[in-house]
Amino acid sequence: MKKFLAAAFASAFIAFSPTVQAQTPPNVLVVGQIAEPKSLDPQAVTAVNDFRILMNIYDGLVRYKDGTLEVEPALAKSWTISDDGKTYTFKLRERVTFHDGTPFNAEAVKFDFERMLDEEHPYHDTGPFPLAFFFSQVDSVTADDDYTVTFQLKAPYAPFLSNLAYPTGLIVSPEAVKKYGKDFGRNPSGTGAYKFGGWTANEKVVVTRNEDYWDGAPDLEAVIFRPITDANTRIAEMLSGGLDIMVEVPPDSLQQFKSDPVFNVQEQAGPHVWFLILNAKEAPFDNKLARQAANYAIHKKALVENVLQGTADVAAGPTPPAFAWAYDESLQPYPYDPAKAKALLKEAGYNGEEITFYVTQGGSGMLDPVAMGTAIQADLEAVGMKVKIETYEWNTFLGKVNPGLEGKAAMAEMAWMTNDPDTLPFLALRTGAFPDKGGFNSGYYSNPKVDELLEKARQVTDQGERAKLYKQMQQIVHDDAPWVFVANWKQNAVTKASVENFKLQPSFFLMLQHVKKPM
Amino acid sequence: MTDTAVNTKAKPAPKSARPGTVALLLNNSLATGGLIVLAVICLIALATPLLPLPDPDATAPADRLLPVFSEGHLLGTDHLGRDLLSRLLWGTRVSLAVGVSATLIAAFFGSLFGLVAGYAGGRTDTVIMRGIDMVMAFPYILLALAIVAVLGPGLLNALYAIALVNIPFFARNIRGITYGLARREFVDAARLSGKSPVQILFIEILPNVLPVIVITMSTTVGWMILETAGLSFLGLGAQPPQADLGSMLGEGRKILFTAPHVSIIPGLMIFALVMSINLFGDGVRDVLDPRLRAGSLSRPVARTAVARGGSDIPPPSATPGVLDLRGLRTEFRIGGSVYKAVGGVDLHVRQGECLGVVGESGSGKSVTAMSVMGLVPTPPGRIAGGAAYLEGEDLFAASDGRIRHLRGGSVAYVFQDPLSTLHPLFTVGDQLKEAIRAHQPLSNAQLKEKALELLSLVRIPNPKERLSAYPHELSGGMRQRVCIAMALANDAKLLIADEPTTALDVTVQAQVLTLMNGLRRERNAAILFITHDFGVVSALCDRVAVMYAGRIVETGTTREILENPQHPYTAKLIECVPVLGEPERRLDAIEGRPPVVNNLPDGCAFADRCPRVRPDCRSGELELKLSSPERGVRCLYPLGEGGTA
Amino acid sequence: MAAIPVLFGLTVIVFLIMAMIPGDPATAILGSYATPENVAKLNQQLGLDKSLFQQYLIWIGNLFHGDLGRSYTLNRPVLDEVLERFSATLILAGTSLVLCSIFGLLAGIVSAVRQYGWADKIITFLVLIGISTPSFWLGLLLILAFAVKLRLFPASGMFAIYGGGDLPDLLHHLALPALTLSVVATGVIARLTRTAMLEVLRQDYIRTARAKGLSERKVIYKHAFKAALVSVVPVIGIQAGFVIGGAVYIETVFQWPGIGSMLVTAISTRDLLLVQGGVLVVAAAYVLFNLVADVVQTMLDPRLR
Repeated sequence: MKKFLAAAFASAFIAFSPTVQAQTPPNVLVVGQIAEPKSLDPQAVTAVNDFRILMNIYDGLVRYKDGTLEVEPALAKSWTISDDGKTYTFKLRERVTFHDGTPFNAEAVKFDFERMLDEEHPYHDTGPFPLAFFFSQVDSVTADDDYTVTFQLKAPYAPFLSNLAYPTGLIVSPEAVKKYGKDFGRNPSGTGAYKFGGWTANEKVVVTRNEDYWDGAPDLEAVIFRPITDANTRIAEMLSGGLDIMVEVPPDSLQQFKSDPVFNVQEQAGPHVWFLILNAKEAPFDNKLARQAANYAIHKKALVENVLQGTADVAAGPTPPAFAWAYDESLQPYPYDPAKAKALLKEAGYNGEEITFYVTQGGSGMLDPVAMGTAIQADLEAVGMKVKIETYEWNTFLGKVNPGLEGKAAMAEMAWMTNDPDTLPFLALRTGAFPDKGGFNSGYYSNPKVDELLEKARQVTDQGERAKLYKQMQQIVHDDAPWVFVANWKQNAVTKASVENFKLQPSFFLMLQHVKKPM
Repeated sequence: MTDTAVNTKAKPAPKSARPGTVALLLNNSLATGGLIVLAVICLIALATPLLPLPDPDATAPADRLLPVFSEGHLLGTDHLGRDLLSRLLWGTRVSLAVGVSATLIAAFFGSLFGLVAGYAGGRTDTVIMRGIDMVMAFPYILLALAIVAVLGPGLLNALYAIALVNIPFFARNIRGITYGLARREFVDAARLSGKSPVQILFIEILPNVLPVIVITMSTTVGWMILETAGLSFLGLGAQPPQADLGSMLGEGRKILFTAPHVSIIPGLMIFALVMSINLFGDGVRDVLDPRLRAGSLSRPVARTAVARGGSDIPPPSATPGVLDLRGLRTEFRIGGSVYKAVGGVDLHVRQGECLGVVGESGSGKSVTAMSVMGLVPTPPGRIAGGAAYLEGEDLFAASDGRIRHLRGGSVAYVFQDPLSTLHPLFTVGDQLKEAIRAHQPLSNAQLKEKALELLSLVRIPNPKERLSAYPHELSGGMRQRVCIAMALANDAKLLIADEPTTALDVTVQAQVLTLMNGLRRERNAAILFITHDFGVVSALCDRVAVMYAGRIVETGTTREILENPQHPYTAKLIECVPVLGEPERRLDAIEGRPPVVNNLPDGCAFADRCPRVRPDCRSGELELKLSSPERGVRCLYPLGEGGTA
Repeated sequence: MAAIPVLFGLTVIVFLIMAMIPGDPATAILGSYATPENVAKLNQQLGLDKSLFQQYLIWIGNLFHGDLGRSYTLNRPVLDEVLERFSATLILAGTSLVLCSIFGLLAGIVSAVRQYGWADKIITFLVLIGISTPSFWLGLLLILAFAVKLRLFPASGMFAIYGGGDLPDLLHHLALPALTLSVVATGVIARLTRTAMLEVLRQDYIRTARAKGLSERKVIYKHAFKAALVSVVPVIGIQAGFVIGGAVYIETVFQWPGIGSMLVTAISTRDLLLVQGGVLVVAAAYVLFNLVADVVQTMLDPRLR
C-alpha cells in the first residue's frame, strides 16, 4: 500500500512539474484547425478546413491573386481560350518536380483530371471525388507536348478558370497516387511550398519547408496543423500559448483578443452569404409579400453587431460584395421595419399559423446558427409570426434541407462560401436547380427571367458583360425575396504578435508561403 | 451474532421504542439540509409562472452579456440579452420535470424487466438479462446520442434516450432481489393456493421489492438530471429558445472565457439541484434500508466503550480467581432507548476451573462474555458499570494497547459458528500463524512448526495439508478445532468459549467437548463456558451460573444445580435436555418469551412465565440469596429438594 | 462465454440504429454539395446502395478475416483508426480507473473507519459534490483555472505538439482530463467501499481478528479491507463502462484523441463502419474489464473458485 501510494505521488509530481511549456518554437508555425482533415487528397475533400492545409502542399494550374478573387498563373505560365469559349490551352511551367521527385508535366495534369472524371480510369477507385462536378463541363484533356495541355469543354463555361484555382483543381503526383492507391490521402505529394511531413491522427499534420519550391522556398521550417474541434478548447490553447494562428474565432472571444497586445487580429471579407431559405411553394411564403415581410421583420443590424459582434456585415442580396466586379453597389439591404412587416403579413393573409424553422447546430460558414436562429425567431414572434425551431446537427440538417423543404418546414438557415458569382445563384436560385433536378433550390424559387440571366452569364467570357447580367439578376432576386438575406461574414484569424507577413485571403484559403515567425 | 434481546420484537407500550421514519430522516442533518434546498428549488420552480419575471425568451441583443446584479437583470443577461434569472428558473422547471419523468419511466420498465426476469428465471431470464448486458456494454452517452439521432433532437426524445440507457440499473437491481424472493416459502405458498404468476408478482413480490425501487430511484434522479443536462449540453436536448439547465450551460460554454457567469450560473444550479437530491436520496436510503435503519451498519470500534460514569467501581471480591466480574452492567443504546443486556453480574472463575454460564437466547450470557475483553460492538454497546478483574487487574481501566496484548494472549476466545468466525479469504495456516505472531516474535519456519503443532494438538488429521486449506474447505468440526487451536496458540490463562458446540452435530460436539476438557486438565487453564444446553454443562463444567434477562438467577456447583435446581427457570432449562431412553420427556421450549431488556418489569423478570408466580413477585428488587459462598438463587419462593413444586 | 452473443447482438443493433438515423455518409462527405443526385452517385461508389442485410453480411464476413472495413469519411481502414484511438482512450480511462480506485477505496475506508466523525462527514460531502457536478462543466472550469489562468497544465491534447512525446509529457497532458474523468467514479467507489467496509466490520471474523489481539491497522487494512474488496471489485469493473462512456465528454472538452470523440464524430457523419468498429472495440473492452474484475474477485475469494 505504502509503496503504491509513493508511486502515485511520484507520478503526480512528475505531472505537475512544468515540462516544455506550451510555447511554440521559432520558425515553426502551429495552426489551430477546427477539425481533423478527412484526407489530404485535394480531389477527395470538400471542407474549407481541409483546403487550408492543401493549399500549402499543392499548386493548381492557376491561383487567386493575393488579396483578390482574380485568377493568375501558377503551374501554368499562360493560357489561351478559343473564341467559342470551349477550348482552353495551358502552357506549363518547366523543371517543376513533385515532392516525391517525379516531374510535373502535361501527362500529370491529364492523369489527374482523368482520375477524377473518367470512371474507366484505373485509379478512379482512389476516390470518391465528391466535387468532380466542378469540372463536369470538361469533355477531354490532351497533353499536346510535355508542357502544353488542352481542355476541351462540352459547352462554354465562364467559371472554368476560377474552378481550376479551387482546391479540387490542385495537381497531385501521379506516381504517388499509383504507389499509395487508396491511401494517397494520407501520403500526399504535390508541388507546393511545403512538403508533407507526417500525420498523427487527431493530433497534428506536419508539413515542412520545400527547399526547391519554384516560387521561392518559404522562411518557416515547418507548419503544424492541430485539429481542435471544440471552440472553447481552441481559444484556451491560443490563450495559453499552444497555438500561433487560429481561425474562425467566435465573435465574443475576438473582442478579447483585440484588446490584448500579445495577439493580432485580422479580418477579411470573403464570398460568403448567410441567408434563410423561404419555402415559396407553401403558405405563408408562397406569397412575395410575406417573404418581404420576413426581410423587414428581422433586425439584421442587431444580429451582425450584437450576436456576431461585428464579425459580419448586413447582406443586401444573394451575391456577396467580395465579388466586387459582379456586385451591384446600388442594392440596399431591407431595413428593419416591424410595422411594415406586420402590414405586409396582413396583406398577405397570414393569420399567425405556426411555421417550422430548421436551425442547424453548426456547419461550415454557419457562424453561430443557434443563437442567430433564436434571435430571428424572437424577431418574427414580435411581428406576430408563430415560429417553431427544430435544430439538427449539420449532416442531418443537410439531409433534411437539401431534398427540399416542401411539407416539412417554412424556412431554413443556410450559408455558402463560393469561388465564383455564378456558383450560388446557379445552384440554388434557378428553376432548373429544384432539388428533384439535382440542384440546391430547396425553397422552390422560380423566376424565368432569373433563369435566363444565369444561363446567359455562363456563356459569356467577357467579364464586363457577365457583371451586367449578374447585377440585373440581383435586383430581381432582391425584390422577389426568395431568401431573407442576413449576413456576409468577415473571416477572421488571431495570430501571436510574433507572426509576420500573415494575411487572410478573400478566398478563405490559408496561404502560408510568405509567413515568418523568427521568434 | 451476540444474542442480545435487541432484535426481538418490542412488547406494546414502551414509549417511542424506535423513532419514526420522518423523525429518522430529520435526524440526519445532511439529509435535512438537502431536503430544505430541494424543497426551496421545487417551490420556486413551481411558482415560476407566478413570479414577476421577464419573458425568458425575449431577446434584446443590445443588452447582451450584462454582468450579475445589473439593473433589471439580477443575474445579468445571456448572449442574446435574455434575462438569466428568468431563464434559470424556467430552465430548472424543465430540468426537474425531465429528470423525474425519465427516472419514473426507467424505474417502471427496469423494474418490470427485473421482476419478470427474476421471477421467471430460466430462458426468459437469460434472454432479458443478455439484452440488458448489451445496453450496458454500449457506452451510455453514445447510445443516447444514437437514439436522439434516430428520433431527432428535442427534450422529449432526450428524455426517452436517458430513460432507456438507465433501464439496466433498475432491471439488474430488481432482478437480483426478485430472484431471491421468488424462491421463498411465501411465494411457494401463494403458488400452491392457485394464484397466477401475475398475481404473485404484483401482490406478493412487488410490495417487498418496492423499497428497493424507491431507493434506486432516489439515488438515480440526480444522475438522470446530470445526463439530460449532458445531452442538452451537446445540443441534443431542449430546442431553442426553450431554456433548460443543460442547454443554458451549453450556450454559455461558448463564451466561458469572456462572460463566465452565463455558464457558471446554470452550472451551479445543476450542482445545487443534484447535490440536494443526492443528500436527500441518501437520507431516504438510510431510512428505508432495513440494515441501516436498525443501526446495524454502524462500524464497531476496536473496543467496547466504557462509560462507568459516576457509579462506584466495585473492588475485587474476596475470593479472587483468574477472572472476577463485579457488578458488570452492559447496555445497548439504539435510537432513544437503552437495552440493559447485562444488569449487574458477579462471576468468578478459578485456575483450572470451568464455569458454565447458561441461559436462553437473549439472557445476556454472551454479552457478559464479550464484555470481558471489550468485544461488545460499540456503537451501540457500552459498559455502563462494574468491573472485570483479570488476576486483580481492572480490565475496563486498562489501556487499549494492554487489552490488545491480553486478547489472544492471556485471554482467548472460541466463538459459536466456526464458519463465520474464521476469515473466509485467508488459509487456516495464515490465520493460525497470525494468532501466534501477534504475541510471539517467531520466524516463519518456527511459526509454521508451531501452527502444525497446534493442529495436531486439536487432533486434526493431515495437519500439513490443512494449513493451506481455506475454512470453507473444512467440515464444521474441523473448523471448530481450528478455532480452538487458535485460542490455544499463546497459552491462555482464561479461555472464554461462547457456545462453541452449538453449531455442531452431536457426535462432533462430544469430540470437541472431550478435547476442551482434556486441554483444560493438561494446561490448567480457566474456562468460561457459555451455553444454553444443560446437557453440555454436565459434561464439562465444575460450576454453573444461570442467567435470565441480564442477571444471574441461580449459581452453584454443577451437581447441586442439576440435582437440586432452586429457581423455576433453571428447572425448566434442565427439563429441556433430552435424555437417552426417555422419549416422553418434555422437549418443548419454555413457553413465553424473555422480557425485552429495555423495558424490564418490576420485581422478578421471570414472573410472567413462571408457573409459581405470586403477586409479591412483581414488585421490589430481588436479591441473589446466598446459601453458601458458591450457592445462591434469585427467587422469593425457590423450589425445594428434587426440583418439584 | 456469454460475452460473444452480447457482442454479436450489439453489432446488429448498431447496424439497425445507424440505418434508422436520417442522412447518410454521402451527405456528410458532400456537405453543402449534397444534392440527391450527387448523394445517390456517391452512395453507389461507397457500396451503400446494397441492402442493409447484404452490407451486414459483408461486414461480418470481413470481420472473420480481421478486417473491419474502411471508413468512408476518413478514407482509412477502420481497424487502424480504431486501434489508434482506442489506445489513447485506454491511457485516459485506465489512468482514471486507477485514480478512482485508489482514491475511492482510500476515501471509503477512512470514511467507514471514522464513521460519523469529521473525516467521514467531510469525505461524504466531498463525494456527494463529486457525483453531483457535471463532469463536462468541471473540465471547462479546470481548463479555465489551470491552463488559461495559471498555465500549469496544457489545455488540450495528449502530447506537446513540438518536442515532448515522452512519459512526463504524457502525464502532464493527462493530469487534468484524467482527474476530471475520475471524479464521479471515485465518488461511486468511495460510497460503495464505505458500505462494504461497514458491513464487513460487523462480521464475526473481524471480532475473531480482534480477539486474537491483532492491531486495529491489521484488522482494518488486512482483514476487513480484503473482504470488502471482494464486493467492490465487480463495481470497479462496471465503473470501467461508465468511465469509457464519460470519456466521450472529456475527450471532446480536452481534445483527447480517443475513441469517444471519434464515435461522436462518426455518428454525426454516419460513418457506419467506423461506428460499428468503434462500438465493437469499446464493448469488447467493457466485457474484458468485467472479466478481469471477475478474475480478480476469484483470486481474492477462494470460495468462488
